Amino acid sequence: MTQKITKILVANRGEIAVRIMRACRDMDIRSVAVFSDCDAGAYHVRMADEAYHIGPSPSTESYLVQDKLIEVAKKIGADAIHPGYGFLAENATFAKRCVDEGIIFIGPKAETITTLGDKLQARKAALESGLPVVPGEQLDDDNLNDALEKAHTVGFPVLIKAAAGGGGKGMRVVYSPDDFEEALRSAGNEAGSAFGDSRVFIEKYLERPRHIEFQILCDQHGNAVHLGERECSIQRRHQKLIEESPSPVITEAMRKKMGAAAVNIAQKTGYVGAGTVEFMFVEPDQFYFLEVNTRLQVEHPVTEMVTGLDLVKEQIAIAEGVELSFGQDDLSIVGHAIEYRICAENPEENFMPSTGVLKNYRLPAGPGVRVDSGVVIFSEVPIYYDPLIAKLIVWGKDRNEAISRGRRALEEYRVSGVDTTIGFHRVLMDNETFIRGDLSTKFLEEEYPEHRYSRLNNTYREAAAIAAALHSFTTQRKIRLASSAPKNQQTSAWQARHRRDNLRSFGGDR
Amino acid sequence: MSRFLVRIESEEYDIGLEYRSEKYYATLNGREVEVSFHRLGESRALLLIDGASYEIDVRANGFDNRKAVFMKGMEIPTEVEDYNLAQLRKRAGITSEASVEKVVKASMPGMVVEVRVKPGDAVTAGDPLLVIEAMKMENVIKATSNGAVKDVSVAAGNSVDKGDKLLELE
Repeated sequence: MTQKITKILVANRGEIAVRIMRACRDMDIRSVAVFSDCDAGAYHVRMADEAYHIGPSPSTESYLVQDKLIEVAKKIGADAIHPGYGFLAENATFAKRCVDEGIIFIGPKAETITTLGDKLQARKAALESGLPVVPGEQLDDDNLNDALEKAHTVGFPVLIKAAAGGGGKGMRVVYSPDDFEEALRSAGNEAGSAFGDSRVFIEKYLERPRHIEFQILCDQHGNAVHLGERECSIQRRHQKLIEESPSPVITEAMRKKMGAAAVNIAQKTGYVGAGTVEFMFVEPDQFYFLEVNTRLQVEHPVTEMVTGLDLVKEQIAIAEGVELSFGQDDLSIVGHAIEYRICAENPEENFMPSTGVLKNYRLPAGPGVRVDSGVVIFSEVPIYYDPLIAKLIVWGKDRNEAISRGRRALEEYRVSGVDTTIGFHRVLMDNETFIRGDLSTKFLEEEYPEHRYSRLNNTYREAAAIAAALHSFTTQRKIRLASSAPKNQQTSAWQARHRRDNLRSFGGDR
Repeated sequence: MSRFLVRIESEEYDIGLEYRSEKYYATLNGREVEVSFHRLGESRALLLIDGASYEIDVRANGFDNRKAVFMKGMEIPTEVEDYNLAQLRKRAGITSEASVEKVVKASMPGMVVEVRVKPGDAVTAGDPLLVIEAMKMENVIKATSNGAVKDVSVAAGNSVDKGDKLLELE
């Protein structure tokens, strides 16, 4: 009893919308984009077969408005909605509404999203599935003394987390009881404004864990597999920046053990679709359940590169009711893949978001290089959404080859108009600790406490000095040429053209 | 020949430049270097310095001496002065360093969530001044130097644009 999907509404924007549309095209499925005011000319709209305007730029008035999305889907006859990640991807109400309206929601069932999306219920599910969890406590509403007491029970440092959380929002590390009240309040506020749910809980804070996660795929017939792990330890503000697969520290035996745990919780919760089971890992072999992300992850391409699968196509096939075409034993990991998140941010200003128009945008290419980009040249990076503009993914036969290709591709990548994380990633590829694979979620603060990510050496400084002086020199000449042009003199069209060409500035564009 | 003094971080470079018969000639700290310069449109150019290839993008900041040079995936802040004027300035004992920034400006558009200080408050470098929400993240704006709050230009709930004055220290 499979149902062929013929038209998918992609309820997202940016690189992930483009990524999903590519899979649709590969499967001969019509893709439908939705867009807000400021995304009218966006790349995902250009990539789609059809596109419909859904409202003003703020996501609360466009990409998050369930009524509008359902209305468009029904009007144009989309038989499925792919939510991507973020926005409504882990919204159980939306998943249920789709089903009620006769539209396939490409993701797990609403009940599964509810259970696993709530971190407290997810912890419970993990315990029931026999997975190790980090010691922690639930907090009652507005009882500070009680909360502080529980923090002492767990033991400082503690981590305050939003029950509805994700992406580091509503999350605070507290080292001292003195800072607890302030952190509790601001975490609650941030969670409230980000998720409309200000409940928080506390966990024992592990000092130098690795972030290791397992990709799972489960069909509607009870078959479930894991596709190996991704290591995502390089993070800032609890958001990932670099992800790789396989992890340099996970042995085949460990992969089997953790993979089985991931499949176990998926099966216990009736999971359907693609998902990710996240763990904190302490060498050599301790692991703790963190959470399940009931969506396609930003970093899914590294798994695709080492397994040869197309996860979006698998998601769509599962949603159609098709059985998985492979079992655990058919899967193997080949080579090594690394993903770099290209964000419009200034790494030296604590990754402050940067907005603007991409005056130059040139992608790297060549062996082992893949770019999932949500923008093209002259795209505008608006303030309203996530600063992720693209993902660079490299593959090599081993980790060293992947790192070399990463260096090469990052140097080829050209972006101007906004600050990006490209230079930051390039610096990290020369970092000895990274090259050794000695990673932890504390990596950035330990290795770069001053937030300085520069490869500036004297040769580069000299070249930049000459470039800057040349810029002044040519600007001066341009002004001289312009002011020396005789006035009131007839000029031919050719002369005017020639002069204009001369004036076309190197540096004239501000 | 035009002569420039270029400052990058704390290093100074003496650059001589000349344009003759459609070619550029350059000296770097008195040493002749071979320079070839090819425009790539807009503000970009390909620069060959003694054969080493640099694709550069230079952006000037209005009329002051500061220019940002983008190359090799880096943004390099530079300051360019006429060499002779720079020598005069130095003899007069005037530093070119921009005075410590006392006006705190928004570095991105967003909404002011919270103002933590009021006029008259003494602050030390690193103290939180205000919280701005942008791209769904709360960003704490901290004092970069010691001082006292002279005045506050925004209140919680205000929307701010990049470059807007938030508050002033003294």
